[in-house]
Amino acid sequence: MKHDLIERNLGILLVLTMFAISAGGLVEVIPLFFIKETVEKVDGVRPYSPLELRGRDIYVREGCYLCHSQMIRPFRDEALRYGHYSLAAESKYDHPFQWGSKRTGPDLARVGGKYSNEWHTQHLTAPRSLVPQSVMPNYPWLVKTPLDYSDIQLRMKALRKTGVPYSLTQAEYDRNVKDFGPDVAKSLHIPDAEKNLIAQAQLGNYDGNPANISEMDALVSYLQMLGTLVDFKKYDDDYFVKFR
Amino acid sequence: MATANVTNNEQYNYEVIRKFTIMTLVWGAIGMFVGLYIASELAFPVLNFDIPYITFGRLRPVHTGAVIFGFGGSALFATSYYVVQRTCQARLFSDGMANFTFWGWQTVIVCAALGDVLGYSQGREYAEMEWPIDILIEIVWVVYLTVFVGTLMRRKQPHIYVANWFYLAFILATALLHTFNNLAVPISLFSMKSYSLFSGAQDAMIQWWYGHNAVGFFLTAAFLGMMYYFVPKQAGRPVYSYRLSVLHFWAIIFLYMWAGAHHLHWTAIPDWTSTLAATFSIMLLLPSWGGMVNGIMTLSGAWDKLRTDPIMRFLIVALSFYGMSTFEGPMMSLKDVNALSHYTDWTIGHVHSGALGWVAMITFGSLYHLIPKLWNTKVFSLRLINIHFWLATIGILLYITAMWISGIMQGLMWRAFDDYGNLQYAFIESVAAAHNLYIMRAVGGLFFLSGMILMGYNMFMTIRSGNVEQTPN
Amino acid sequence: MDVLLWFTKFENTKPVSLVIFFVLFCGVVFYLYGSKRRGKELESFKNIPLQDDEFK
Repeated sequence: MKHDLIERNLGILLVLTMFAISAGGLVEVIPLFFIKETVEKVDGVRPYSPLELRGRDIYVREGCYLCHSQMIRPFRDEALRYGHYSLAAESKYDHPFQWGSKRTGPDLARVGGKYSNEWHTQHLTAPRSLVPQSVMPNYPWLVKTPLDYSDIQLRMKALRKTGVPYSLTQAEYDRNVKDFGPDVAKSLHIPDAEKNLIAQAQLGNYDGNPANISEMDALVSYLQMLGTLVDFKKYDDDYFVKFR
Repeated sequence: MATANVTNNEQYNYEVIRKFTIMTLVWGAIGMFVGLYIASELAFPVLNFDIPYITFGRLRPVHTGAVIFGFGGSALFATSYYVVQRTCQARLFSDGMANFTFWGWQTVIVCAALGDVLGYSQGREYAEMEWPIDILIEIVWVVYLTVFVGTLMRRKQPHIYVANWFYLAFILATALLHTFNNLAVPISLFSMKSYSLFSGAQDAMIQWWYGHNAVGFFLTAAFLGMMYYFVPKQAGRPVYSYRLSVLHFWAIIFLYMWAGAHHLHWTAIPDWTSTLAATFSIMLLLPSWGGMVNGIMTLSGAWDKLRTDPIMRFLIVALSFYGMSTFEGPMMSLKDVNALSHYTDWTIGHVHSGALGWVAMITFGSLYHLIPKLWNTKVFSLRLINIHFWLATIGILLYITAMWISGIMQGLMWRAFDDYGNLQYAFIESVAAAHNLYIMRAVGGLFFLSGMILMGYNMFMTIRSGNVEQTPN
Repeated sequence: MDVLLWFTKFENTKPVSLVIFFVLFCGVVFYLYGSKRRGKELESFKNIPLQDDEFK
């Protein structure tokens, strides 16, 4: 009889504890669906091309997010230093998000187009040759390592499962033409991934060596498109405020 | 202090606790060494040596993984198995399963470190481990829960002592957080690479719900459980108020889970989410201080112990740092303070005043109490414990002072304008200005690591003099 | 009837949950400090860690 009560106490403790720790979580999970609705409606945001996607994978692999944020806050100094504050829409295809939590180096959310490809290649290979006081590691292996894109289709297919609109079928392709225009839609088509990747690397020649496709090509192509998708001249400043 | 009163080995399973205890010391030394190394890389980038495997970006998760999950995790396994057995007066539920948690957990830490070094990363802070390791963690954790609850069900003591509540909440919450934060789609069954199921703002919310509560439950609630057993034991007197412990238990586990979004102030999430998180963060101050007061007041009337007992000193200083960082935390969660402190070294300083000051110090104190009991012997040298205490304290003070100064300096430099309304400093000037402070931080780390190694030596000598096979009485 | 409809509106969840959690909190406080006898019993549990050495 008494034992019975004790058993119940442990059960009650377990249940109450679960309740207490879940309450906050539930209230923080439900808003996630509202966030989906508060993602701004803007033109221009698109999934990454195959080459940019591989560049982003390298960004994650090297742990860049541990020293660089990709989230500009709505302050005057950040507007002057980095540009327009970041929108939720701008990372809606980011699996995982790379907003970061620390700026040992500067924010990169809008680094795209600010420096030349040569600058990036040189800076990533030997940062102190351009910025003597920098504490960033050298990444000399990026230009030397050929980019492995053998599994690019697998990567895009995995992202497609999470909801990124990479296309496999004609219907999906047509939908992308409608949503993003024919040029972007082409780069999102999974069966053509290798072809598109090679074409972009050769056309862009990001690492200055057209003979091969290196990890540097991929990473620089990613850095050069960061924050460039939304044309802020098309919108009033007030437009974005209502989504916050 | 008499320690000979060791109950026989049949009654309690001490074997698995001994193993976890030793690994706590090993991972502590390794994790803190890696921490010192990456701190030095920031002061002297030449130390990256152009080797991919030891660049800051890859070693930093090795540091956080080894200290949080290796050092902290092993300490929690060890002490929770000890506390649950002693306060329930029952043997662990299953020796085999307990042993599995030991080998499983060590495998997790080793694989996680290897994965980080090789560049397999989910790109989420404190959850860099890729999906196969995540699955192993999940399995180990379910077995851990089973062992812990199974032992509670065997208890001969009708009441479940409050320390076990904290451990239980930590095990349940960690399971919940780990599961949801690591939902990902692997690119194939034979690849380590996966992509997070969520994206952008949703992904950020989930990650910081995890990140914040990893601090709240892994590094706080569980270590409060440790505190509620080892502080009364070492002081030889019961905790100040049992009712306060119950009250702040419920408050802390309830409130913590709401506060995660304060890591995302001013980012692209809705404003009301971060207001809610800031509000709950402020409220958290009360139960946090409830725990601190309860622990420190346990000594009321016996303050002289602080002078004579270096182990007690570890425990009480740990509680003081706990009180300090749980004051600093809510303050930094205020949006205006956060606007200055976020993205700067101040955050790093805050984390370490909690991680070194609270987590590591309470662990040191508890292990100095525990190890002689486990090996049925006396501490090799109390003097070395005293030296360790001072090395650790000086190390922490150097560390957090350096980070406060550099953090506030960075925050102010980034937002400084000249007379014409232009930015006064280029970003790189704030990097250069932090150089000396990064050296000071590394020196602080060196102090702390030396203390850790000294403890390893002291405990090695203690264990060598121990006698595991002692006949009962 | 109007009173019941008020509960179905989503924007009212904030005050509702505030009241629920506050009442729960008061309940816990009352349970802990409301009765002298129960208080004494609860406080007796704090000796559990100190009793284990005597236990054989």
